[in-house]
Amino acid sequence: MTRLLSFSVKNIKRKPTRTAILVFAIGLLVSALVFSLSFVQRVNGSIRKASERLGADLIVVPTGARGATEEILLENKTKSFYMDRSIMDRVAAINGVAAVTEQVYLVTLATLCCSVPEAMVVAYNQDTDFIVGPWLIEKLKRKLKKGEAVAGSESSFNIRLGLVDVDSKLFGSMFKIVGTMDKTGTGLDNAVFITTDNLNDIIKSGKVTVKPGQISLVFVKVNPGVNPATVAAEVENTIIDADAMARKDIGKNIIATLKDMSRIFTMTIILAAIMSFFLVWAIFTAIANERAKEVGIMRSIGAKESHIMNLYLAEVVVIGVLGSVLGILFGSFLSVVLAKGFTIVKQLSTDLSMTERSLIALASFVGGMLICVLGALGPIQRLKKLEPLTVIKAE
Amino acid sequence: MGQIVLTNVSKEYAVGSESLAAVRGASADIAKGEFVSIVGHSGSGKTTLLSLIGGMVNPTQGNILFNGENIYTWTSDQLSEYRCEKIGFMFQSASLLPILTAKENLLLPVAFRSVQPSNGMDARAEELLRAVGLGDKINAYPAQLSGGQQRRVAIARAFMNGPELILADEPTGDLDEETEAEMMDFFLRMNEQQGTTFMMVTHNTDLAARAKTRLRMHQGVLAKA
Ligand SMILES: Nc1ncnc2c1ncn2[C@@H]1O[C@H](COP(=O)(O)OP(=O)(O)OP(=O)(O)O)[C@@H](O)[C@H]1O
Ligand SMILES: [Mg+2]
Repeated sequence: MTRLLSFSVKNIKRKPTRTAILVFAIGLLVSALVFSLSFVQRVNGSIRKASERLGADLIVVPTGARGATEEILLENKTKSFYMDRSIMDRVAAINGVAAVTEQVYLVTLATLCCSVPEAMVVAYNQDTDFIVGPWLIEKLKRKLKKGEAVAGSESSFNIRLGLVDVDSKLFGSMFKIVGTMDKTGTGLDNAVFITTDNLNDIIKSGKVTVKPGQISLVFVKVNPGVNPATVAAEVENTIIDADAMARKDIGKNIIATLKDMSRIFTMTIILAAIMSFFLVWAIFTAIANERAKEVGIMRSIGAKESHIMNLYLAEVVVIGVLGSVLGILFGSFLSVVLAKGFTIVKQLSTDLSMTERSLIALASFVGGMLICVLGALGPIQRLKKLEPLTVIKAE
Repeated sequence: MGQIVLTNVSKEYAVGSESLAAVRGASADIAKGEFVSIVGHSGSGKTTLLSLIGGMVNPTQGNILFNGENIYTWTSDQLSEYRCEKIGFMFQSASLLPILTAKENLLLPVAFRSVQPSNGMDARAEELLRAVGLGDKINAYPAQLSGGQQRRVAIARAFMNGPELILADEPTGDLDEETEAEMMDFFLRMNEQQGTTFMMVTHNTDLAARAKTRLRMHQGVLAKA
């Protein structure tokens, strides 16, 4: 068998250009697989993780601000929107609601107000909060005081300064950055957090659009056994000024967009797979024609059909392995480098784990090998069925 | 009963709508260790006859027994094993694989054996190549060999698996007289020392005369010469 294998390797080296084209084609197919699987997996995974980390069953936002909320939570865009504080009290009164807490989102504008580039500032209510606190526990181990701020793990305050306990000017007031947040996997990793005690001073400065008595959104926890969707429906029915979304619905819009993208990816991959299949088929048909006489000779001197099969399958497998490995390397490179060109990916906060990457590589490898073997199977089948006599007659 | 027994073997080829009888009612009984020469005009059916015995063409009619077994009742794999381990075929035309060296060409039939011999095959290949006068061409590729040298590699290859029967189709066709005589000596030596049965097609009447049993094909009919 080792002898036959070395014969396969010699066969592969016969036409280096043709082998290279085949390896390249399989490589392209596999890299496309790796890239699109990584892309879809990464976006999907980020959304799932972000909503898991959120710690609320329901989010109530001003009517029409759902999209903006998702952009803040999942894509770390800077957005602001406001509604009246009384909405929170009405939500709290709904049956099945266990706890509510509000957040106010402010957007810094570099030149106007603050000493940092455009960023989100999140004011949260420390008395009722159940969202931000858990992210802070490890880092700070105490409550925030007025005039203090905490930077998200990815925020420009953090990145720019690289250290804490630095004064920063926000909307005309000086804040002492006393710590950084754990990484949450949500878009809020790029924000700066202050408490709602500071809001009065900030509003007085006139540098923000929020008015007294306004909040951006309300996070809601429901009682055990209560279906968040029911509460969400109740909120939407009774409070015209507010929209509600259950946690599992967060990212629905993005996932819908993603589904369309996945469909495009899938179609591209199917087309690429069909083309690769036919390329393998065409090349192995040519190989079968070229080597018909050799196969006849081998059959005449005692090769079984299985020997011919193994000989040529080994050739396909070597080509498939080469192509798939190259494809995995190139595809991983693309998914790291090229992905930066996609806004949606650039703004995601979580990356793929090693296990996820390995699984994607494995799946792509199997895909590449399958196309290779299936494409070559027909021509090889025909080759192994050749009558041994053919050779004796062929001069 | 002999090693090879042909009973009324015929082979017809379909040519268009007509059928052409390449071998007509051939019968023969060849004992183990016999040296048989076959002569006959071009197109008389010699190659067809050897192919039939080698299990490469199905007869239209008749039986071919090898050691008492009807070879055309065998499966494809059994026929392959028969070609691999029981017989050595020397083809009329060049039959080496171009991407393998002389020695690798000799080792190829070994790779097809159902049970791989443990070792010593490399040495055997080299020894056989030396026996046909190609000791200095062991690692040469067919393209680097003359026609006669290629022919001798194919001769050596036929002996690689220690066959019981050699089917040789004009094995010395493009050799000079001296080399041809050497090859014939080699065949006779193998025939005597190993007891290998030979069926050799040749146009050379001198060579044919050196065989113990002499047959002649004429328009598909096999007869004593
Ligand atoms: N595959 C085939 N299809 C049709 N006819 C064939 C085929 N093979 C051989 N024949 C015919 O069978 C007859 C015998 O052919 P064969 O090759 O056995 O002759 P031969 O005695 O070996 O001739 P030569 O000495 O020229 O090699 C010829 O008339 C040939 O045309
Ligand atoms: Mg002939």
